[in-house]
Amino acid sequence: MESTDRRNMRTQFQALFDTLRDPQSNSYLLELFASMIVSPELQEEWLNGGDSNKVKGCSQEFIDSLPRVPRSEIPLKESCPICYEKFGDDEYPLVAELPHCHHYFDVQCISLWLSKHATCPLCRDVVNQKTFDNIDLSKAELEEDWGMYS
Amino acid sequence: MASLPKRIIKETERLVSDPVPGITATPHEDNLRYFQVTIEGPAGSPYENGIFDLELYLPDEYPMEAPKVRFLTKIYHPNIDRLGRICLDILKTNWSPALQIRTVLLSIQALLASPNPNDPLANDVAEDWIKNEQGAKNKAREWTELYAHKKN
Repeated sequence: MESTDRRNMRTQFQALFDTLRDPQSNSYLLELFASMIVSPELQEEWLNGGDSNKVKGCSQEFIDSLPRVPRSEIPLKESCPICYEKFGDDEYPLVAELPHCHHYFDVQCISLWLSKHATCPLCRDVVNQKTFDNIDLSKAELEEDWGMYS
Repeated sequence: MASLPKRIIKETERLVSDPVPGITATPHEDNLRYFQVTIEGPAGSPYENGIFDLELYLPDEYPMEAPKVRFLTKIYHPNIDRLGRICLDILKTNWSPALQIRTVLLSIQALLASPNPNDPLANDVAEDWIKNEQGAKNKAREWTELYAHKKN
């Protein structure tokens, strides 16, 4: 009897926890409350569940489109920061360059990481955020103006 | 056991040949993914003169996933709970495969030097730390004496 009540309470509380959980807010009170009625293992599961929602990998298309470093420009004496193998130790090195920060990694290593995350392992730069730096906005406005006044 | 990635071998070699001051990490002879770790309490902190035992395990997914680390020695610290689990961002959401065993252990040593009661794991300790910092530090010092005493 008592265990059923407890289970109900736990279920209700988890629903509350999921509703109130806001990554921006200080969840101290919520966690304090949780610690009073929920086992540490379950708390960790909930917390990790919340975290895993935040972590989003890059699309396979994005990963496949990463620029490959031309063979002649690969720093053969440097190592991949993920597997620690020298780029030059591979007879046919495949090295990818991340778009904003220009860090180099083995294609295989960085593909695996980016399938689950969207940050550069070295500088935490978000790699797949679209930047519009290359689009000529002045031209776009010009065209709109033409539309208005023509 | 699956073969050990070269990266783990390289890290282990460097941990032994070029150890971090105040930190030791020794792989278990039967399982090279399991390390026995000791961290000296940082000077000037309530953990000074203490030697803390930890265990570190490299999961199969390492380095795509963070090492699992926990304190074996009892410690009074707002970010370490009674099971020895550590609240440290790089061990959870902020893990990066460019980090390594060495940097993780350095971060834990830094956490001992500067506890962060505003991001607590052990809520009772954190509350104590915020309300009565001097008292909490005294208790941390007592626990260090009691549980993390240097073996001669």
